[in-house]
Amino acid sequence: MSIVLKDLTKIFGKHRVVDRVSLEVEPGELFVLLGESGSGKSTILRLIAGLWRADGGTILLHGRDVTATPPRSRGVGFVFQNYSVFRHMSVAENVEFGLRVRRRPRAERRQRREELLDLLGLGGLGHRYANQLSGGQQQRVALARALAYEPQILLLDEPFGALDIKIRAQLRRSLREIQRKLGVATVLVTHDQVEAFELGDRIGVIERGRLLEVGRPEDLYERPRSLAVATFVGSGTVLVGRSHGDVARFGDVELPIPAEVPHESGARVRVLFRPEDVSLSESPPGGADRPPVLGRGEIFDQAFGGATKRLRLRLPPLREVRQIAPPLPYGEEGLIVEADVSAEERTPQLPWVVLRSWHILRRPAPRLLACDPGDGTTDVLEMADHLADAVEGAVTLLAVAPEGAQTSKLEGPLTARRDEVGLHRAAVRVRAGDPVEQVLAEQAEGVHDFILVGFRGGEGRRPGRGESTAVRLLDYLPVPILLVRGPIRRPRRILICTAVGEPGKADIRIGGWVARQLAAEATLLHVHRGEEPPQWVRDHLRRGVATLRSLEVAASLTLRPAETPAEGIRDESREGDYDLIVVGGHPPELRGERENVTRQVVELAGCSVLVVPESA
Amino acid sequence: MNGPRTASRGPGIPVAFLLLVLLPLILMPLAAVFVFAFKNGPGTFLESLRDPDAQFAMRFSLLIAFGTAVVNAVLGTFAAYVLSKYRFAGERSLGIVVNLPVAIPTVVVGTSLLLLWGPIGLLGRLIDPLGLQPMFTPAGVLLAHLFVTFPYMLGAVKPVLDELETTYEEAAQTIGANRWQTFRWVLLPALRGGIFTGALLTFAHSLGEFGATVMVSGNLRLRTQTAPLYIFAKFEAGNIAQANAVAAVLALLSFLIFFALLRSPRRRAQQG
Amino acid sequence: MDGLRERSLRIALPIALGGALFLWALWPWLPFSGAANPPRTIVFYGFSILGDVFNEGIFPAFQKEWRQRTGEKVEILGSFAGSGTVTNQIILGVPADVALLSLESDAQKLAAAGVVPDGIWRELPHAGIVNRTPFVILVRPGNPKRIRDFADLGRTGIGVVHPDPMTSGGANWAIVAEYGAGVRGHPQKPDAGFEMLFGVWKNVVAQASSARAARTQFENGFGDALITYEQEALRDRALGKLRADIVYPRRTVLSEHTLVVIDRNVLPGERKRARALVDFLWGEKAQRIFVEYGFRSVVEDLNTGNSAFGRIDDPFRIADFGGWKRANKEIVEGVWRKRVLPKVKH
Repeated sequence: MSIVLKDLTKIFGKHRVVDRVSLEVEPGELFVLLGESGSGKSTILRLIAGLWRADGGTILLHGRDVTATPPRSRGVGFVFQNYSVFRHMSVAENVEFGLRVRRRPRAERRQRREELLDLLGLGGLGHRYANQLSGGQQQRVALARALAYEPQILLLDEPFGALDIKIRAQLRRSLREIQRKLGVATVLVTHDQVEAFELGDRIGVIERGRLLEVGRPEDLYERPRSLAVATFVGSGTVLVGRSHGDVARFGDVELPIPAEVPHESGARVRVLFRPEDVSLSESPPGGADRPPVLGRGEIFDQAFGGATKRLRLRLPPLREVRQIAPPLPYGEEGLIVEADVSAEERTPQLPWVVLRSWHILRRPAPRLLACDPGDGTTDVLEMADHLADAVEGAVTLLAVAPEGAQTSKLEGPLTARRDEVGLHRAAVRVRAGDPVEQVLAEQAEGVHDFILVGFRGGEGRRPGRGESTAVRLLDYLPVPILLVRGPIRRPRRILICTAVGEPGKADIRIGGWVARQLAAEATLLHVHRGEEPPQWVRDHLRRGVATLRSLEVAASLTLRPAETPAEGIRDESREGDYDLIVVGGHPPELRGERENVTRQVVELAGCSVLVVPESA
Repeated sequence: MNGPRTASRGPGIPVAFLLLVLLPLILMPLAAVFVFAFKNGPGTFLESLRDPDAQFAMRFSLLIAFGTAVVNAVLGTFAAYVLSKYRFAGERSLGIVVNLPVAIPTVVVGTSLLLLWGPIGLLGRLIDPLGLQPMFTPAGVLLAHLFVTFPYMLGAVKPVLDELETTYEEAAQTIGANRWQTFRWVLLPALRGGIFTGALLTFAHSLGEFGATVMVSGNLRLRTQTAPLYIFAKFEAGNIAQANAVAAVLALLSFLIFFALLRSPRRRAQQG
Repeated sequence: MDGLRERSLRIALPIALGGALFLWALWPWLPFSGAANPPRTIVFYGFSILGDVFNEGIFPAFQKEWRQRTGEKVEILGSFAGSGTVTNQIILGVPADVALLSLESDAQKLAAAGVVPDGIWRELPHAGIVNRTPFVILVRPGNPKRIRDFADLGRTGIGVVHPDPMTSGGANWAIVAEYGAGVRGHPQKPDAGFEMLFGVWKNVVAQASSARAARTQFENGFGDALITYEQEALRDRALGKLRADIVYPRRTVLSEHTLVVIDRNVLPGERKRARALVDFLWGEKAQRIFVEYGFRSVVEDLNTGNSAFGRIDDPFRIADFGGWKRANKEIVEGVWRKRVLPKVKH
């Protein structure tokens, strides 16, 4: 690998401009970092060049760790957006500068300079100064200067940004040729998709300091994994519908969901289609495998684009369908679809809008934050492994050291434990400070969907230690928290408790989703004080079971009399041999008797407990 | 024709008024210097300049001015570099301190130097027994001039540095230049105009410095008497012709420097 | 190409000019310039009116004599300013070897500051006094205001130019002259001295930092009368520069100028030369030069050598008022500063 970035991070003030970016660039590859201005893409480039110091992560250039190496020893060529051609030096002196500081003999400098000037089409301009050159020429001088000392890596920061469009296209082609010819690994930063698509062997899309997706241009365009990439790269329409079995429904339109896209019945599904995927016809298509039809649309706008023209059509709304892109003007209820058609094509007044091709977007993989208890036990890690396996989630392992401790020392043992458990793909993070604060901070920064934390009963009551991290975390409950408690195995029986006061929906939904992912049985439990529950409660429970079953989860209902809800849950969990209890939790302002129940359940349960915030 | 852009009645009245103000304020006093210098004919003028004391004073002033310009060119450029490129606590206060000499009366500068380096001064007391005594020697004059003219270099160089985009330095670094090479080949050429302007300003001010010099030089003829001190001494002693001869030479030099200054930005504009 | 040549010319010209200027400035210090730096020096500080007589008369004469005697070339560096200024400079540390001060009280200031032992100058010949000159009044040609004596300066409508007693030794002498003239002219009147002083000072229109500067002011047209050293006026008259008449008061002071050797500034190798200069000053040759330049010699016989010396009916000396220490306290401080100054301020 020419360039390897691992968890590269840069912080300005409180802002993570580059957030744990990991990336590999192959020899000879032209890699494009695509993102809007301020997304952090130029910062990544500057970190690779060493112009700025990384706050975290490592940079390997040709296998050499250069994270702490000054820029001049990294052997990279850098082309700045403003070219920065030295104004008091002639073109020739500019190009030779890299060789002169390396004290190469004059003859060699001269030869190399002539080679490069010819290669870049600057022959005969060697004696000129920057103010006698056009923008495009300056840009090529900057490129020649960066290539003169034969760097193994070339970094280009918006190299065409300040040029007019015609020159830009021309320079792009010549840059591509030169890069191919020299076979130098190149990272180019741009906000211009056309540029990215034309130049990139692969493209990495950056948003707010994070690398969203990496892929070949055609993959990113046709099969983006995330909504952000789908809407950022190219234009197109994104609709939200619901899945029913193996099809996604958008009103009356049914689109098959490919097997490789994980989905669940009843869940929302997003579909993307590009303008060129849409065709228009005068009459509705027929036949056995006729393509899906969105409806009849009215053309309200068209733009000439050479061989094609782009039409914008307004369609009547589809039932239970929401449009994400292009954004609808305020008050608009229908759909707006873009279609590319041949410029010569005569289009009917009210054409039928037919989909020739489409792409179902994946749901983003759930992110699990597993907190290492720091006592050498691996319960939490094992549970994370089971869960990640089931939900195809990404795991981050977090260890929190005491304030002021050397975090780097903890990294090794944690990595060793990770590998022992078999969580090889999990990211390892070590932070220092108050455990609760650090867990919350990490969750917020990493946008994790679940927190896994170890828990032993009675721990919180031990005198002099205050409450345990797990219990204190329940006060915040930003996302569902799984309190892990042995024995650890892949959960097969899950107890979902709705007994805790007002029966919530979040616990059933999330519990059901987990059960489905784990292919586990789910039991819905209601604890009462002996008397028959009122009709509305029974209705609610029945709907709960129906929801679970619609998620294709084997579900049953249990009603149990007990003195307190906590005791009922405890007894049921012991008798029923459950592996996981799902219980609702509440934000601080609603706490009271109910929260007490959650706490008691947590204390008394003999297995792991998933506490779901009611707002989830 | 550079006609008036807004005035409809032509520039006559405002220009005449300006001249009317400038004439007694600036132009006539300057003219008086030359008139008096040549009042007794060019012979007396040259005779006055041939006086060994006058010769010494002019040479000494020029050398001090050259020395001040060279030392402050280096020091001022370095200070501008540090203040412009580094961010540190107290940076603002330091920025004010280095510009302070502009605001302090030069006589106070002279006094403060005496109170520091003089035989009874804070540091002077310690080094006097070692036989080191910068005050009342050319070194003392140089010290005073360095102090008084320090901000001129800074003022000429720092804005150029501030405006120069950091990418030029960064480009040099990525290309492989070390700090010195970056400074020598990239920054210094860009600063040439600023350093030239600053050095000329420093030179001119040093040439005319009086307040601090009169305090620290001891006013020894043939030893530490600068041209302005010579002029003052001669004038006070009533040798107005002699004083005016040297004054005329100083004024002439100032004109030359002034024209060089006027032309330097134009040259920079042509190159840049 | 033309443009290039023009540009290089425009750069080369100022550089050539600057270089030439630098070379010219450095010339005397260059080893081949022939003006070898004379290593043997005496640093001499004197009060203002001594500039001409020393630079033109005494120094060349001494240098010549010293060369004849020893073959050595000695360089004398002189600096001349108001006596008070010189005194303060010496206290601050200028490297003066020998100083000739306008009045003994400045020497006493040096002693008070610890620069020299108190009274050391009295061990020199004539108690350190090198020469004398009486204080006279200069008036505009033809004496249009008919000023005959100090008393006339008190008349309304007369403008007097006076040096500043804070920095000028001459001014202190002038105060003693005015006061003494009053006291000695009216021995019966109890406050005659004060009245005379007050009369003069209420008419002071300009104060200069030294006697020399006061004379420059007077020459530039300020005032009707200037109180100054007789020597100044005689010297100017001899040079044909005097555009004023000299008025000799009936009674005036003979100022006496005190020589101080600042031993701590005299390097061991220089002691011999400094001593020789000091001795030379009281020698006949030097005293004759003083007379030639309008000073009255301490050797009375020589004073016939200058026919220009005017007649003074009642010359007095500072000793008549008990020396400078007492005169300072009683006249300058006691009368002038405490009584005259507050009264003329408003």
